[in-house]
Amino acid sequence: MASKTGSLKLERLTKEFGNGKEKVVAVRELSLTINPGEFVTLLGPSGCGKTTALRMIAGFETPTSGNVLLDGENLVAMTPDKRPMGMVFQSYALFPHMTVFDNVAYGLRIKKMSAAEIKTAVAEVLESMSLSHLANRAPNQLSGGQQQRVALARAMVVRPKVLLFDEPLSNLDAKLRAQMRIEIRNIQRRLGITSIFVTHDQDEAMSLSDRIVVMRNAVVEQVGNPDEVYRRPASVFVADFIGRSNFLKVENAKKARSGKASVVVGGVELEVAAQENALSSKHPVLLVRPESISVTAARSAKPGKSEGVVSNVVFYGNHVEYTLDTDEGLILAVVSDPIYEEIVPVGKVARYSFDEERAWLLPSESERATKEDQE
Amino acid sequence: MAIKTSGARYDIFTKIALVLVVLIIGFLILLPLANILVYSTQPSGSAILTNSWSDIVTRDIIWNTIKLGLSVAFLGTLLGFIMAYTQARVEFRGKKILHIINLIPIISPPFAFATAVIVLFGRSGIITRGVFDWRPTLYGFPGLVLVLTLSFFPIAYMNLLGMLRSLDPALDEAGSSLGASKWKVFKTVTLPLLIPGFAGSFLLLFIEAIADLANPIIIGGNYTVLASRAYMAINGDYDISLAAGYSTLLLLPALLVFLIQRYWAQKRSVVSVTGKPSGRPTMVTSKPAKFFLLSITGLLTSLVILVYLTVVFGAFVKIIGVNNEFTLDNFRYLLGGFANGAIKTTATLALIATPIAGIFGMVIAWLVIRKVRRGAEALDFLGMLGIAVPGTVIGIGYAITYNDPVKIGDFTVFPQVGGGGAILGGAIAIVMVYIIRSSPAGQRSGIAQLQQIDPAIEEASASLGASGGKTFRLVTLPLISGAFLSGLMYAFAHSMTTLSPIIFLVTPDTSILTQKILAEADQGRYGNVFALCCILIVLIMIIGGLINLFVRKTQVSVDRPMVTGR
Repeated sequence: MASKTGSLKLERLTKEFGNGKEKVVAVRELSLTINPGEFVTLLGPSGCGKTTALRMIAGFETPTSGNVLLDGENLVAMTPDKRPMGMVFQSYALFPHMTVFDNVAYGLRIKKMSAAEIKTAVAEVLESMSLSHLANRAPNQLSGGQQQRVALARAMVVRPKVLLFDEPLSNLDAKLRAQMRIEIRNIQRRLGITSIFVTHDQDEAMSLSDRIVVMRNAVVEQVGNPDEVYRRPASVFVADFIGRSNFLKVENAKKARSGKASVVVGGVELEVAAQENALSSKHPVLLVRPESISVTAARSAKPGKSEGVVSNVVFYGNHVEYTLDTDEGLILAVVSDPIYEEIVPVGKVARYSFDEERAWLLPSESERATKEDQE
Repeated sequence: MAIKTSGARYDIFTKIALVLVVLIIGFLILLPLANILVYSTQPSGSAILTNSWSDIVTRDIIWNTIKLGLSVAFLGTLLGFIMAYTQARVEFRGKKILHIINLIPIISPPFAFATAVIVLFGRSGIITRGVFDWRPTLYGFPGLVLVLTLSFFPIAYMNLLGMLRSLDPALDEAGSSLGASKWKVFKTVTLPLLIPGFAGSFLLLFIEAIADLANPIIIGGNYTVLASRAYMAINGDYDISLAAGYSTLLLLPALLVFLIQRYWAQKRSVVSVTGKPSGRPTMVTSKPAKFFLLSITGLLTSLVILVYLTVVFGAFVKIIGVNNEFTLDNFRYLLGGFANGAIKTTATLALIATPIAGIFGMVIAWLVIRKVRRGAEALDFLGMLGIAVPGTVIGIGYAITYNDPVKIGDFTVFPQVGGGGAILGGAIAIVMVYIIRSSPAGQRSGIAQLQQIDPAIEEASASLGASGGKTFRLVTLPLISGAFLSGLMYAFAHSMTTLSPIIFLVTPDTSILTQKILAEADQGRYGNVFALCCILIVLIMIIGGLINLFVRKTQVSVDRPMVTGR
């Protein structure tokens, strides 16, 4: 039952706090188009501006400049209560003086629906979230997960065009968080409500989103689907923030005939895919995820090319993690389903290898940092 | 990232509330204050101001006022601290009762202390003369210090008790585990942490002491302070400008100290109020320390009890200390006509003012904490003016401003609401004073409670489509109902017992109980004074209890940890 409405467009959305010398730019020129029914996550470390961006969409912050358009209508001058959006708060923000039923009914009562309609609608949504038996409880009599569900039910029951989530899972324990992730995604798919989800947890972003917007220091670093941000991150920062990474030193980086980049890593020439600015960078680095690297015992006592001394090994049962000291830097390798007898012990030399298809060339972070400082 | 709410542009409800609040503050306090300043520039007032240092009489009055303020502030803070420390850190029986007894003076009517102390410790005092055959002169500085300290130490007590309780016991334990003795911990950890509390209490008591009018009239004797001098300027010299001049002299230090208290002392506070104290505080176990604390506490508490016993006893005998025969004559006389009108008028006016003051305080608190972004501190300060400005000054300001219609050119902006010729016999001006004097208490407790409530709860309401007004009514007000209730109780009790601004506003049609007490005390009819005090206390307890019942019925209990969500 995907709705046709709910397309959200952000145009150069900017928020500055304070003025003069104390001026802080929380969000700088955020532009983004979100399609009806799409699930988009704003991901970034704390202080990157993701929550401020969400609060501007909800109407709790007035943008310094820029527009928020919902189905073509500009909402910037509209107070939060007039916007057809529902929000799920980090602290849930359940009304502590009302029962679960009254919390969920609140938005419908504001809409002046009839008591009978309200009863049916609330009962239905409580049922769908397995909360029916808790309808007469007060919020403080519920567990964290139940409170979370009530908050979600309360936001959904008014059928908003857009659902906004402000780190709603951060107060739950790991197991419950994983479970709620699935629940949220299923409900959102079923109702087809455009959703924007703010989080600093990469697992949440990866598992929930159609698209991820990675933010850093008030600006968007990358917009892409989970596969893109993981395998083809726009920068060392994104690669580092999402998942674990090795950044290998490379030599002789140049354009290959195939259109890819040609680099030499540990004496081996590889043809790898490259980010557009990677080859103009003085010291590009090669991103290889730990799980793409395989490790075997080497015969030699001294490490040669593509080899390193094992400086640390951790056995987890289903996988083993190596840290290798190589000429290309410390390399982290995760080998899954290991055979215990074949694990290379600390101090021994190991050989590493990876599929060049799995590598991705990036411009170095330090060059960009200095470039930004000069601006 | 910490983000202050108040997000989008002000909605219509906020705008209306803001305009109304500013208008009310403007008429209820700013205009009378402005008039005081204007009148003080006229000849007799400006003479006082310009010669305040060269004229020896005026200088004496100023010095008297400051000396009284400092003494009461010092003694009151010291006693308040000893009581608070004993309450928080010493194990003994009867703690709760002691706590309640310590708080009673806050709602006690004026004169109860002064008259009881005269009867007990005066020249012919039951104790001084009766027991020790000693005839001390109580009138003047010593009597004033005694009475004012007894009346105001509870303020310091509450202040410091709150602070002591919110001190994390782990701090003391850390001190001990580093090898400090208990005495050393007290000196190097507890006391330094309480310094802002001491400063705050000291300043508050200073303001209360210099602003007081009732006690200087009754027990001041020849010891003249600014408040009583300003009162004399109206009631003896009949010179408004002169009164305005003394009022200005009183107003400036009061406001200055208030500003220091609020914006300096309070900001110094290093005690985290939000942090949940872990564990139990270390109790005082040293025998001498316990003995010292408990004897002072016991002595002071006995004194307070003695004063109230005197009030009650004195109300039911012919002439206390002289003829202790039981009688109901005092009550028969008062309730037989003398005080009936005053009781009815006082209760009615206080009951009208109470809900208005309560809601007004809550609205200001809400605007300050949730809505106003720039100028929140200024609004908070304006809201507090009613309590920062001495009652005498407010009363004189009202008399100047509202005994005639307020006009701009020929256009009446505000009708005459005060004085005998006004509509309703000047009752409106009295209600206005009640409101502006008692709303600050609600404002403070409202602010404290709002700061505990996650702003997301109100945002949730907005995001579900509720307008600003609806959110305030359906979510905010129920959540701060505790503060609202205590604001109402305070407003009622304070209105019933307030005197200093009222003296200037009573008319033949609107006689007020506290003013009746003053008249009786002036005549030396202490039996009537005590009986009136009893009537007043009983009224406060009954009506206060009813307010409590009524509001509690309509409120839902709110669990705190839930409210502090995040």
